[in-house]
Amino acid sequence: MQEHKTCDGMKRRDLLKVGALSLGGLTLPQYLALAGNGKIASGRADRAIFIELPGGPSHLDTFDLKPNAPSEYRGAFNPIKTNVPGIEISEHLPRLSKVADKFCILRGVSHTLAAHRLGREYVNTGTKPIPALEYPSYGAVVSKERPVEPEIPSVVAVPRASQGPGFLGIRYAALETNSTPSPNTFFSVRGISLPEGIGVHEVNRRQQLLKKLDRRFADLQDSDQLLEGLDQFSSQAHSVITSSRARQAFDISQEPESFAQQFGDESFGQSCLLALRLVESGVRLVSVQLGGWDTHQDNFSKLKNNNLPKLDVGLSGLLSGLDQRGLLESTAVFVTGEFGRTPKINQRSAEGGRDHYPRCMFMLMAGGGVRGGQVIGESDATASGPKHEAITPDDVAASFYHNLGINPSTEFNSSTGRPITLVRDGSIIQQLFS
Amino acid sequence: MKNRTNPLALMAFVLILQHIAGQVDAAERVKTGSSGTLRSESPETIDVRYQSYNSKELPDFQKHVIPLLGKLGCNGRSCHGSFQGRGGFQLSLFGYDFKADHLALLDESSGRVDLDDVDESLLLAKPLDADFHEGGQRFKDGSWKHHVLKSWISNGAIGTGSVPHTLKRLEIQPSQIELSNPSKVVSLRVLAHWKDGSTEDVTILSRFQSNDEAIATVSDVGEVSIGESGDTHVVVSYDNAVVAVPVIRPYPGRSKIQVDQSSHPIDRLVMQKLRKLNIQPSARCTDAEFVRRVSLDIAGILPAPDVVESFLKDKSPSKRERLIDSLLESDGYAAWWATRFSDWTGNSDEQLSNALPVRSGATRLWHEWLRNRIAANVPYDQIVEGIVTAESRNANESYLEYCEAMSAACQPGKESQFAKREGLPLFWARRNFQTPEDRAIGFSYTFLGVRIECAQCHKHPFDKWSKDDFENFAKLFSPIRVNQNLVSNEAKKDREQLITQITGDKKLKGADLRRALYDAAKRGDTLPFGELLVTTSQISDRQKRAMALAKKQGRTFTAPAVPTGKILGQLEPIELDHDPRKDLMDWLRSPDNPYFAKAIINRVWANYFGIGLVDPTDDMNLANPPSNEPLIEFLAEKFIEQGFDLKWLHRTIVTSDTYQRSVVTNATNVQDLTNFSHHIPRRLPAEVIYDAVVLATGSDIQAARLRDELDSMAIADGKPKRRNQQDFALEIFGQSTRESNCDCDRSNSPSLLQAVYLRNDEEMHNRLLDSKGWVAQACKEAGIEAPKNIKDASFRTAYNRANSLRKQILANVGRYKQATKTQQNKRRSQLESELRRSKIKLESLGFQMPSVLALLETDDDWDSLERALPKMADIGDLESLIDQAYLRVLCRYPESDEKKISLEYIQDSENPGEGVMSLLWALVNTKEFIVSH
Repeated sequence: MQEHKTCDGMKRRDLLKVGALSLGGLTLPQYLALAGNGKIASGRADRAIFIELPGGPSHLDTFDLKPNAPSEYRGAFNPIKTNVPGIEISEHLPRLSKVADKFCILRGVSHTLAAHRLGREYVNTGTKPIPALEYPSYGAVVSKERPVEPEIPSVVAVPRASQGPGFLGIRYAALETNSTPSPNTFFSVRGISLPEGIGVHEVNRRQQLLKKLDRRFADLQDSDQLLEGLDQFSSQAHSVITSSRARQAFDISQEPESFAQQFGDESFGQSCLLALRLVESGVRLVSVQLGGWDTHQDNFSKLKNNNLPKLDVGLSGLLSGLDQRGLLESTAVFVTGEFGRTPKINQRSAEGGRDHYPRCMFMLMAGGGVRGGQVIGESDATASGPKHEAITPDDVAASFYHNLGINPSTEFNSSTGRPITLVRDGSIIQQLFS
Repeated sequence: MKNRTNPLALMAFVLILQHIAGQVDAAERVKTGSSGTLRSESPETIDVRYQSYNSKELPDFQKHVIPLLGKLGCNGRSCHGSFQGRGGFQLSLFGYDFKADHLALLDESSGRVDLDDVDESLLLAKPLDADFHEGGQRFKDGSWKHHVLKSWISNGAIGTGSVPHTLKRLEIQPSQIELSNPSKVVSLRVLAHWKDGSTEDVTILSRFQSNDEAIATVSDVGEVSIGESGDTHVVVSYDNAVVAVPVIRPYPGRSKIQVDQSSHPIDRLVMQKLRKLNIQPSARCTDAEFVRRVSLDIAGILPAPDVVESFLKDKSPSKRERLIDSLLESDGYAAWWATRFSDWTGNSDEQLSNALPVRSGATRLWHEWLRNRIAANVPYDQIVEGIVTAESRNANESYLEYCEAMSAACQPGKESQFAKREGLPLFWARRNFQTPEDRAIGFSYTFLGVRIECAQCHKHPFDKWSKDDFENFAKLFSPIRVNQNLVSNEAKKDREQLITQITGDKKLKGADLRRALYDAAKRGDTLPFGELLVTTSQISDRQKRAMALAKKQGRTFTAPAVPTGKILGQLEPIELDHDPRKDLMDWLRSPDNPYFAKAIINRVWANYFGIGLVDPTDDMNLANPPSNEPLIEFLAEKFIEQGFDLKWLHRTIVTSDTYQRSVVTNATNVQDLTNFSHHIPRRLPAEVIYDAVVLATGSDIQAARLRDELDSMAIADGKPKRRNQQDFALEIFGQSTRESNCDCDRSNSPSLLQAVYLRNDEEMHNRLLDSKGWVAQACKEAGIEAPKNIKDASFRTAYNRANSLRKQILANVGRYKQATKTQQNKRRSQLESELRRSKIKLESLGFQMPSVLALLETDDDWDSLERALPKMADIGDLESLIDQAYLRVLCRYPESDEKKISLEYIQDSENPGEGVMSLLWALVNTKEFIVSH
């Protein structure tokens, strides 16, 4: 069968070969030379946890405080010292202040898309959205580039993926849990867990029956790709469903209390615990969401009473937990909202709120080759824009891929055969890995 | 070409000398014109002519310079063809934008051409790598390539005139290749025949590419070598021509091909090709395979068990033809093919939001409109005409009548009223079909099976289309406007009035107005519908008057030019002073149209074979020729002759032995995937699988109702993708998203999630456990207890009733036990008969009760309910049940050992009902169930 060709006259098969090697601005030898010289430190993560903060968290009240700014900017929160000299964050993130050595703060990250959906698509793909083409989520790319063993899904979204596999196709879609776990409670996922009333014994017995009866094409199997593929998926499905590995990976109630308690009782913390269990079990990428950041009104009480404590407990629990399990070095963590919030406080409610603001925001990176305990980039005096050169979502995405050992300049083909560079405009932030 | 024999080179040398000496006569020069070839039939090629740099010949920009740059790779996407250019220099991707390329080359800031100091020109220095060139050295100092470019610059670096030369034909010698010997090489010769009468051997300037490198490879200079057995094409490109040369390597062995003589034209043409390839086709498939395959392929519906049984029993030799006829007359055929046409025409809820003043349902109208016509076998060109030239109003319909008719048709269940309307303007109302460019792309995709989009930005790499062709084509679509708020001038008042009737005096806009309209729709009010309008640029009355006046006064008055567009591949422009859609339609249905008939034939063919005669089905281009050209030509010719009769097309295909081949292969055809020598298993389409699962697991009554009514079936578009939701199963099985002008919006590839779904999704478990499903029905018929769904409400009710009965009995027994001996004696017999009645009651609810004696005489505290002991079924009953399961799922009887395995499994099960359920589960999870065979 003929493959789709690209406009360049390359066939898809060629492109995969070339794609893995060709780089945006650099030729392969140039890239290798740089990497060899240590100018680009190699990524070392094998897995990733992507934490999305939909709604757009205020940078000024979290990781980019401006205590000396005028009061209409400054806000109600004070900075506190962290365990890294010179780095200060919001007073309502006390637990994170004790693990600041484990993550890196990116300040003065900047883009121009102030709508939730567009902003989310941007930070979820590392490419500014264009109408003609949907870019794939990080999970879909990782799933394609770094396949995993059969009995475990390669990408899991807790509870849902806000970005689909785009032009890569449904087969790289995340497995969505559709719900979030609660403390000490058995947790399962659509299709993965056996329903009430059917035991593994029964399923294995059925499988034996199926094996005996599914033999119509036994002699064609080797010559037909479809039949071979169906067989593979079928046995993989059986492994996933019956393997204790997949089910146990989802069952956070198996975590010892002493370990689980640092994740708190909120569903976000529990989702972080689930993410940790999943990557530990071999899942490549888990995405987790913590919403409620769209604080147009009552910015400070909402943050103080709700969002920040949840983020503080969940994320610090995750970073500490990964560290305790020896997983931090091999797990790339990326935390981001779709934009920051207006530095100037609005008057929509008595205490004021902050509106959408993509020109200045923060992001967090940790794990893998990322050196924690540093701040990269800087915002201006009122956190209204980057002080020097802006960091873009494209750069951060490129760095995230790099951390995972995926070349951000890899080329893929769209469904219509158009060749597409994974991250069009980003370059790796080398300081992250220094 | 380096191996060219000396005499020729010598002759060339002589000719060059003659040329220098001015010995070529004037007539000869005229003949050569500006084309740059030395003589119209000059036998020497450019590499020979430019071996040394004393040539005074002026290389032609279009004929030599640009092809050479293409050949050198300069205008590739990764080099200067990139949309950003490279190194401050940009060429049009794949050439053919001569004006832009010439400008770029002569742009002083790029430094590519330096007329004063020729050797300093970067066009020479870069590819020589004399000046650092990221692309490295492309040719050597003193090579013919160097000489050509240098000579072009020193002669003034002249570009192409306003109109490019027309390449009449690109001839390839030999025109096809058959090779068995891998050590032999065939050299292609490429001759460019220009419209000016000149011919030049341009082999060395042409680009070559093999469509399948496993079968044939081709060198830079057109030397073809053969690899594995099979057939493919070597594609040759030069100027705007793309020519595919068939290359065949027959399969080994000298065995004579044995085939039953078939008079069927498809079989004849397929066999012609198979003989060349030395392929023995597979035998015809069995009746059981046929009834399943043809039912799923024509109507998308798993055949009912009784249909299978009677077909298998039928001894008539014409039974296959009769089955085909009845399927083509079935409702399933019309419903399923309307779904496929919906894919190709882009019937998408997401793209139709706001196309109508009702909340949803546009997709249902669309599907019904198609279904109605397919059922009536309206000729394909007429169906397309209803789409292409669609008007919102029927002939002679007033705006109000139109709104009344549409308002009625938009009521749920009244879609058939819409189906009676003449046109399908919804096609034009899609959100992704609004700009002329989107329309050019979408139109080509839907009706031509051509991907024109490449030419939107650059010369199409695999076809003749240039950017100009695209732009001219797109212009044709600019006059058509359609949106919900648009009506013709004369209807504006009526529209306002309709709105006022709905909103009263409130002036509503945007979302508020939309909501008010939705509410009005629910009440059944007449709604204001939008109209498709064609804004033509006619010469206005004022201009006409001015012209008349000018004429009177003896002046000349030039009216402003009417915009024009061009149909793909047509030379004559179409003036946009009238609706161009009729011209488009005339062109589509004209017997000379190279795409229209073939596009639909190819898609229908792919439905039956899993692969088109052209593959992918929506990518007909010169570099992607059909695998069997005579066959598609034959079908196209006859299809047009038959008046675009779709049923004729289906019938012709499925009555052929080629369609009816077995999946079992032989040594000669096991490798063949493109020549239809055996049936290739393919995963069934999403909707077909979805329905097949429901039919296989549902009771006979449920299944019969579904087959009768169809409406809720997925194949009848009963579960289309909605804006924010798609049925989970249909999504993971690859239902078409109908959004990107690509047949690949539908996916038939398998995945892990699909396997997980069929094995273990709650929906699947619920179907198997459904108290109205087949498992329950079969168990009842066999007199065994059906497995119970813990979550099943009726089971819960039974359980609760049994449990309260248990408590009641325990209370009675307790009272009895505490009573005095006398009282006990008095009450004993009555209690015993009460308990016996209770036992019968409990068993009817499906639960056990300890014996009366045990309850009254022992300490049995009976603290929990136990299900009634399973009754073992009669073996005969079980065997017929297994037959039924096979028939309804796999459309065949079980083999004797399959029956034995199944029977043993059920008997070994703790509860035979569970065993039956597992059998149905296993059958639905076989490969046999979800692939065609």
